[in-house]
Amino acid sequence: MPQTQFEDEDGTLAMLRDSVAAFAERFPGAERLRSRRASNHDLDREVWAAMAEAGWTGLLLPEDLGGAGLGCREQAVLSESLGRALISEPLVQLAVLSGALLADAPAGAERSRLAQGLADGSLIVSPVWQDLDGTEADMVVTQTGDQLRLTGKAQLVSAAASASDFLVRAALKGEPLLVSVPAAGASVAQRPTVDGAALGSVTLDTLVPAANVIARGERVAALFDRAVELARLALAAELAGLASRALEITVDYTKQRVQFGKPIASFQALQHRMVDMWGEAEFACCAVVNAADALAEAPDRAASLAVLAAKARAGDAATSVTRKAIQLHGAMGFTDECDIGLYMKRAVALNATLGNPESLRLHFLALERAA
Amino acid sequence: MMQQDWNALPDDEFRRIFRDWVDENCPQHLRFMRKQRPLFDEVAEWYHALARKGWLSPVWPQEWGGMGLNPAKHIIYVEEWARLGCPRIPDHGIGLVGPLLLRYGTEEQKAHYLPKILTGEHVWCQGYSEPGSGSDLASLRTSAVREGDEFIVNGQKIWTTLAHCANWIFLLVRTTKSEKKQNGITVLLVDMTSPGVVVRPIPNLREEADFCEVFFDNVRVPVKNVVGAIDQGWTLAKAVLGHERIFLGAPSRPDYALARLEKLAEARGAFNDPAFRSRFAKLRLDLYDLSSAFERFARELRKGGDLSADVSVLKLFTTELYQRITEEMLDVAGEEARFADDLPAGAIDIDAMNLFLDARAPAIFGGSNEIQRNILAKAVLGLPG
Repeated sequence: MPQTQFEDEDGTLAMLRDSVAAFAERFPGAERLRSRRASNHDLDREVWAAMAEAGWTGLLLPEDLGGAGLGCREQAVLSESLGRALISEPLVQLAVLSGALLADAPAGAERSRLAQGLADGSLIVSPVWQDLDGTEADMVVTQTGDQLRLTGKAQLVSAAASASDFLVRAALKGEPLLVSVPAAGASVAQRPTVDGAALGSVTLDTLVPAANVIARGERVAALFDRAVELARLALAAELAGLASRALEITVDYTKQRVQFGKPIASFQALQHRMVDMWGEAEFACCAVVNAADALAEAPDRAASLAVLAAKARAGDAATSVTRKAIQLHGAMGFTDECDIGLYMKRAVALNATLGNPESLRLHFLALERAA
Repeated sequence: MMQQDWNALPDDEFRRIFRDWVDENCPQHLRFMRKQRPLFDEVAEWYHALARKGWLSPVWPQEWGGMGLNPAKHIIYVEEWARLGCPRIPDHGIGLVGPLLLRYGTEEQKAHYLPKILTGEHVWCQGYSEPGSGSDLASLRTSAVREGDEFIVNGQKIWTTLAHCANWIFLLVRTTKSEKKQNGITVLLVDMTSPGVVVRPIPNLREEADFCEVFFDNVRVPVKNVVGAIDQGWTLAKAVLGHERIFLGAPSRPDYALARLEKLAEARGAFNDPAFRSRFAKLRLDLYDLSSAFERFARELRKGGDLSADVSVLKLFTTELYQRITEEMLDVAGEEARFADDLPAGAIDIDAMNLFLDARAPAIFGGSNEIQRNILAKAVLGLPG
């Protein structure tokens, strides 16, 4: 089945794949997703703690901040493997996005505290920065002495109820700030997500010490650009993994399912459809490799284009493959009991995260034609 | 003359050397020809220029007059060729007969035929398909019956590209009727000036004759013209393409078509239409991702690996993308899509209809896309028959 094909001279990537496969034996993805959904939690704390212990929450963080100091290829393979295993904790938001913001931020005590907590699992650090349409939320900061007051509301916050700290994007008289805010000071309302978790709207009217500023000025936009790029790459990889695994499940199912005295996989109409699904998943993997290699080489315009393309391609592939997978499962595919539906729901949710394929393609086109 | 070891050069340097010479020596009036398959005489000057330089045959070993390129360098050769808009030359001799003889031919056959390909004395075509044997090629019926030192060939080939400018044809013929249709097929090299060979061009959708019917009426062919073992030709026919299969999936046609679509759209103001922008972005990203996928297989070759059956995914994608791009050109043309000639687009004309019609072909030839899907279903997904 399709898989990203990276150079892997020292075997790190193969080890990562193996460790996710072993993890999935302990914490089966579909089972844990169902139990989290049933409990109305936005995070499975037990799974998250085990992910931190495995070193995945600090994967992108430098070693002096308690992280593993690995790069975007390793992140891509980790995310792809999590996608395959349907391990659906919001690693992209809580570790890739938060991790990248912290990794590239200027040195400071608060940054170190958050980074170390993220890496060792003692803190859950969620970015607070988006409106409901994905654009930047309006979060206002005023300063009195060495105290900052943050007021405003942001949406689409992962693990908003479980978080210990928020990384808030805000503005002080027009100057962009990245501020660390204790979650305890926020008011949170949750909506369930299609993949059995929840997203919060976070309303702040909170005082924090000025020392909680992690970054300021032009640096903030640059931090978010870089973090979003890494997050999109991780999402693309996870989507590629979902697509590949959903195809594999479907191929196995159609080989087992007998109608008219034959396995339905022997019918040409179904074979051609599955070949097309395979092609979609294969292209998604190729696009992820292209983007990860480009980003690892230099975070330039070419890499930005590659990441936009990969997220668009993998999102289309995963949603398309999983929809077709449900059709090929027949009525079983429409039951909640059958795992294939969870793959589709997860794909739909990730596809909508940080830009759907249409918006990413238009972004790509604008960026390329502007040159 | 000292032979140059091209494979020892860094890729960039080889690319530069090759491109510079080709750009200087490929005649301008032959660049970006409308015709996908020009006749030998139409491109003879370019053919001979390449031959004189020793660059006509990229893959053959240097002892046989080729460049001896490895797959990595061959990909660069093909990419630069396409980028500079050089015309396709009649290349069945270079691309098919040469590799076939180099792998399965006798020393005598190699010494006789290979030099004549390089001089252009022999222009080859490929006699595979028959009226009743297209996708089901192994059912072929053109017969070769042995009489002493000769075979007597009777039957008909069809869709024989450039047969009307070729003087030699390599044929798949039935030498033995056997229960398993793949057995009893033989590869035979036939002089088309032999009595009993008749060629009839078939005009295609573009009202050009790229391909032909070829009739064989008691054509006498020496037994020494058999390649490999009698009755064992099917294996040879299947094995003749190695890493070259990647080129069926090269992005060059959709790449060229998208550039034309972009020019047409700019001239017609189509980019002001959000719906068009959305469709164009989809096509652009499909092309971009096709290049990423092509690179994945090219990388495999560079590492010294072989292509597996899954490389067919490139052929499916590139041919279907080529079609969609040219369909979009007709949409942009609006009412003007009724015209057979080119569309004025500012300083240049865009051959939208020509490309739209041309795009019907690649999804059919080289193993139709439906056959490719059958193969992928079995070879890659392991689906039952």
